[in-house]
Amino acid sequence: MHLDRDEEAILAGEKGEGGRRAMELLVALGDIYGAERLVPIASAHLSGVSYKTIGEGGIGLLEEMAADARVCVPTTLNPAGMDRERWKEMGISPRFADRQEHIIRCYEKLGVISDCSCTPYLGTNMPRRGQHIAWAESNALSFANSVIGARTNREGGPGALAAAIIGKTPEYGLHITANRAPAVVIEVEGDDIDYSMLGQAAGAISGARIPYFKGIRPTIDQLKTLAAAMAAAGSVAMFHVEGITPEAGSFSIDGLERIGVGKKEMERAREKVNTGTEPELVAFGCPHLSVDEIRKLASMLKDRRPRGDAEVWFCTSRHTLSQCPKEAKELERFGKLVCDTCMVVTPIEERFKCTATNSGKACNYLATLCSQKVVYRDTKGMVELIS
Amino acid sequence: MILKGRGISRGIASGEVLLNDSPVSFLGGVAPSTGELTCCPGSSIKGQVFAFPRGKGSTVGSYVMLEMKRVGTLPAAILNESAEPIVATGAVLSGVPLVDGIDLSLLRTGDRCTVDGTAGTVELPDVKEVHVVSCFLRCDEKVLMLKRSDKVGTFKGHWAAVSGYVEEDETPRQTALKEVREELNMLEPELVRSGQPMRVRDGDVIWVVHPFLFQTKERSITIDWEHTEFRWVSPSEMAGLNTVPGLEAVYRSLVK
Repeated sequence: MHLDRDEEAILAGEKGEGGRRAMELLVALGDIYGAERLVPIASAHLSGVSYKTIGEGGIGLLEEMAADARVCVPTTLNPAGMDRERWKEMGISPRFADRQEHIIRCYEKLGVISDCSCTPYLGTNMPRRGQHIAWAESNALSFANSVIGARTNREGGPGALAAAIIGKTPEYGLHITANRAPAVVIEVEGDDIDYSMLGQAAGAISGARIPYFKGIRPTIDQLKTLAAAMAAAGSVAMFHVEGITPEAGSFSIDGLERIGVGKKEMERAREKVNTGTEPELVAFGCPHLSVDEIRKLASMLKDRRPRGDAEVWFCTSRHTLSQCPKEAKELERFGKLVCDTCMVVTPIEERFKCTATNSGKACNYLATLCSQKVVYRDTKGMVELIS
Repeated sequence: MILKGRGISRGIASGEVLLNDSPVSFLGGVAPSTGELTCCPGSSIKGQVFAFPRGKGSTVGSYVMLEMKRVGTLPAAILNESAEPIVATGAVLSGVPLVDGIDLSLLRTGDRCTVDGTAGTVELPDVKEVHVVSCFLRCDEKVLMLKRSDKVGTFKGHWAAVSGYVEEDETPRQTALKEVREELNMLEPELVRSGQPMRVRDGDVIWVVHPFLFQTKERSITIDWEHTEFRWVSPSEMAGLNTVPGLEAVYRSLVK
């Protein structure tokens, strides 16, 4: 990879040890992926926040980087391992809470905005079409690529942090226009689509390819659900929806493989993810609930009464919560409004064995990261479980 | 000898090679508290030059390497055939030199080794590099095989092509022409082409074999003291003979 004089100086350590290590990592990744140069980025979003994931090893890195490095572009943070205010109610140990707060303080020292959320694109970090960005968190980066038209690869947490410190990222993959073309056409049949299960089926079909959807008219919240489920079921970092997403019209789909997905495929996906029967935790909000989703839930639950013994969580960001306090209050009748975290990154496996979700993304990670049996329901079915 | 690769994570470190034939995920594949490989208990990568084809698995693997740094169980260095982002990220951030583009078949577990991740080199002080030529003579579709005599220094009784050491003041091409003239008593051998040098590990030696292809119209030849018999064989018959190491692969590299 070619470096200019300033970049060489950073690599030589002239601007501090944190900057040197960040640049060394970007050069290593650029060489592996065959990038020719670095491109400036408009923002970054970091994973690697929960103490459950990064542990003491991750803390060591953050302490070292925070000693002399700072991010130089707007940078946001993924969910942490607990609600920063209600961690005791969640059954988190004081030791875990202490280490989690230490992680967040390291990120704050690095200059990162510490509203811990997987949906920065709903308010705290909103890139524009065509901007290069370096985002980790698979649902967020797919939303940014597909729905906004910003440009990012699937970054790991450390790679995104290095890019935030340098303000640049290696130019390869989805930063290059030609690599954003669709590779498979998915023709969706039927109406009243369950976007979590469409995402499960389409993610499995696509793998790492970019799919182009025909036959759907998703809302913003449905696009968020679809992005999350496909990133988890496959490793889809970008998709197009005909007539909806900004770059769908930029490429020809002539000659691409076409695959139909209908009720049957989505039903099969539902059968595959459903592994449990009696949920001990019913968790909404993967990705974090939007203002609209909170309002919709509040109106669905308005005249109903809580029922069942399961614990109920509504996971969202503090930024979102601050915009709809009244509706959030309504939800509190049925369960906890949980901020800064979600059911996937907090250690739920220490308290629960079976969790209900309406998220195609959570179906994958509850099983693999949290050792949970999974009960999948659509949003209406989830409401029936708790009221 | 020194192998040349590509530096991915900087720094210099030494240790003994620990070779693992399959791709490695640090998450689940290595116990961070001891450095033991979970696949083979008792086998620890701590302080070793850990050589494996490439990384795989969850991105959390990068953090496992950071935990190993904290508790002091990291390998001294890492060698890969092709580096991938998870292990590369862990290596850079935990300060472990990593070189990729290395042919792992040239390494043996236990080799003493110095890895320079800045220069992209791997030094094996106990392993000698020896340059030889391997000259195949073709007549129609048959290739000449020679059986090495008891009087030669290496690979007695093995089948081989015309071969010889490249002396210090020679280019491999000069050696090839000289050897064919001497060993086969040919005045003007017709050189068809030369191939890329191939490396073959054999004990403490890495043979760097420079392949050459000659052709002739004349099947009757004379051999000297270095060989006891000769045969014209079709290329597919080569595998059935007791040959010097890698001979068939060297021939294939010339004719593909």
